[in-house]
Amino acid sequence: MSIRPLDALDRHALVIAVWLPLLLVAAAVFHYGFGAGGWPFITAGFAVLIAAFAGHVIVNATFGTQFTPKEVALGLVVYCAGLLAAGFATLVSMVFRSHYALPVSLGFLGTATVVIFTMILWLGLRGAFDSFDVIRRFKP
Amino acid sequence: MTSLLAVMLAVFAAFTLYIAAQSAKSGDSPAAFVDAGQNLPGWTYIFAGSGALLASVGPYDYLRLLSVYGFQANQLALSLILVALVMALFQKRLWLAARMTGSRSLGEVLGAHYQSTSIRIYVLVVLLLFAVPFAATLLGSAGELLAQASGGALSRAAAISALAAFLFLASALGGWRATIYIIAVLSTVILALLIFSASFAGLVFDGLSVFHKGFSVREGILGSVLPGVIQFSSGIGREVPAGGLWTTTAVLSFALAAAGAALSPSFAFLGLTMKSRAGFAFSQVWIVSGLAAGALLLLGPIVAGEMNAADNFTPLVARFAAYDQLVAACVTVMLLVMLLVAVAFFAASGASVATIELLDRYVVPDLTPRGERLAARVSLAIIYAAIVLLAAFLPALATVLSTLALPLSAQLFAAYLGLCWLRWMSRSAVLVGLAFGILFVVFTEPPGLIVFDGLFVQLPWGRWPLTIHSAAWGLAINVGASLLVAIFTRQDAEREHRNVLHGSFQRDHRIAFGGRAARSAKWSLTLLWVFLALGPGAILGNSFFAHPVFTEADIALGVPSLWVWQAFFWIIGVLLVWWLAYRSRLSTVEGTFRPHELRHLLQVPGTRRQLRWIALLVTRLTARQNRTTQPARRLR
Repeated sequence: MSIRPLDALDRHALVIAVWLPLLLVAAAVFHYGFGAGGWPFITAGFAVLIAAFAGHVIVNATFGTQFTPKEVALGLVVYCAGLLAAGFATLVSMVFRSHYALPVSLGFLGTATVVIFTMILWLGLRGAFDSFDVIRRFKP
Repeated sequence: MTSLLAVMLAVFAAFTLYIAAQSAKSGDSPAAFVDAGQNLPGWTYIFAGSGALLASVGPYDYLRLLSVYGFQANQLALSLILVALVMALFQKRLWLAARMTGSRSLGEVLGAHYQSTSIRIYVLVVLLLFAVPFAATLLGSAGELLAQASGGALSRAAAISALAAFLFLASALGGWRATIYIIAVLSTVILALLIFSASFAGLVFDGLSVFHKGFSVREGILGSVLPGVIQFSSGIGREVPAGGLWTTTAVLSFALAAAGAALSPSFAFLGLTMKSRAGFAFSQVWIVSGLAAGALLLLGPIVAGEMNAADNFTPLVARFAAYDQLVAACVTVMLLVMLLVAVAFFAASGASVATIELLDRYVVPDLTPRGERLAARVSLAIIYAAIVLLAAFLPALATVLSTLALPLSAQLFAAYLGLCWLRWMSRSAVLVGLAFGILFVVFTEPPGLIVFDGLFVQLPWGRWPLTIHSAAWGLAINVGASLLVAIFTRQDAEREHRNVLHGSFQRDHRIAFGGRAARSAKWSLTLLWVFLALGPGAILGNSFFAHPVFTEADIALGVPSLWVWQAFFWIIGVLLVWWLAYRSRLSTVEGTFRPHELRHLLQVPGTRRQLRWIALLVTRLTARQNRTTQPARRLR
């Protein structure tokens, strides 16, 4: 779905307005959660990320657009990097395994569930799959 | 914390430059650099408008006042609802008037309606007060905060220069559109971090204890009640009001000054650059009076409670840093952003409006779009240079001059009334009112007092005598004089000219006030709300919920009665603004119009002219420049 450059810029700025503050809050919540805060704050961090995703969906609904290929690619890369980092930390760190592995795993699972569920509700099964087929969409 | 803060600021700097670059290479033509082609989307007004308004009223100073005066200063949060009411009253009709007459700024609209150059010049003066001394004071506070947070690694002047450089770069690259995007994003950052820091304080340490233990205010200050309806003190600097400054009269008069933020030429310019009026009502009802006032009222005390009556934010940041360094960095960023939003907004709007009102009109008329963009960039550079100069090296002068910005802006109330509602408000009425209003404001604020004391004799009053803000002193006499003169000049020669715009409002944009009874009910309820929430009636809140009237019983609420009163009138206030903005259609999208249908109002003789001496000066300078460049070309 193509929109005019100025509308695309409007949408882009609004998406940043949704993500930037919530990412900042999520980072602070995670930082405290992996320190003294413990699992409630880690869970809250994932909740903030899900809230930001919900905000992004609302922006898309308002502008009548979908996630752009760059957004999907960025989301997938960040999610996979997080997943890898968590898996690696579980393998090498005893503290992480005993204190944080469960809330982090549930957080990743919850985030993925929300994203997939929203995509299926919004685009249908085939459309949701197409959205994640980033490589094809990047082709000229 | 310093390194974390540095990383966060670097992220913000990268974000501002990224948005500016994206905006610069978007489809906007050079002509849109100054005002975004009057094509900004509604959501920017919702976020950036509310953020800029909040930043001009001053959440940073609000937290400081809370820590010094306690819950009596918390009453000031309700002034945002009065600000929203004022926005609802004027914003839509101002936008319509500008679109119908093809005006690009408040000065042009008022100048066209009243056919007055003096009003245009006054608007320009108020604009520059916001753009230079007001912004310099805020940038000075931001620089001080950053210097403190850096632990001495950065001097105050260096911090000011660095912050100003980034703001300037973003605005100069991306123009008005990029500035508004940046302000919109930073406004959401303020809101998210305010909610986060208050929640963190409430959950992790005893942040909520402020509600039952109260603020640790200095001796002699009444931290949980309002110190009376009025105090017959000579004013700040002469006599200290007993129990604290914030009597109900002080609160009400401060609210009138805060309304000056909504009447300011900068805020009006933001409204005029919107594509449609679709975001007006939502912003007024849900963001300004709902979210912003509610966040200050409910969350402000939790954050300010950690400051321990200090006049700076070091104890607050240290308290958060004791638990988590990143959270402390977030709190510092929130405080910085509260200040920088206003600096960016007033500097950029100042440059844009000065280009339209001053350069384009008087100095170089008929500028090409590229020329206008260059002129706006030069104006922006001059404004930022002046801001940095004042903030870094003349902070006292900046502070003294900045005290005039809000109260002098509030004096435009009568002019707005005439433009939007009262067709019999004549040019003479507005000018006489302004003259008296300015006089009263200047002599109840430091500039007038300092100059008069220095040159003549010491005046028997200080700043804000009788705990009444200078804006209220000025407004009382201004509105009184305007109405009096309007009685005698209501049928003057320009009445027909003014009727054109009002005829259009009456024909196509009627307000749904209902019948006579409904109309009376709406205004009576508004006045009743003002009386009880901000005015003398608020004194009842001191004990209303702790010692109810007509009973002997005392109720242990666990929170101050005044805070419950404030929260109650905040909810009522939001409903009131909703009723007026939506149900009475003060701010909704109703009626149709043709853009520029009243263009002829702008083109009356004398409204657009270049003064002869300026024309001669420009011609001479241009000729001299050409003479000096020609030999250089020959040499090459």
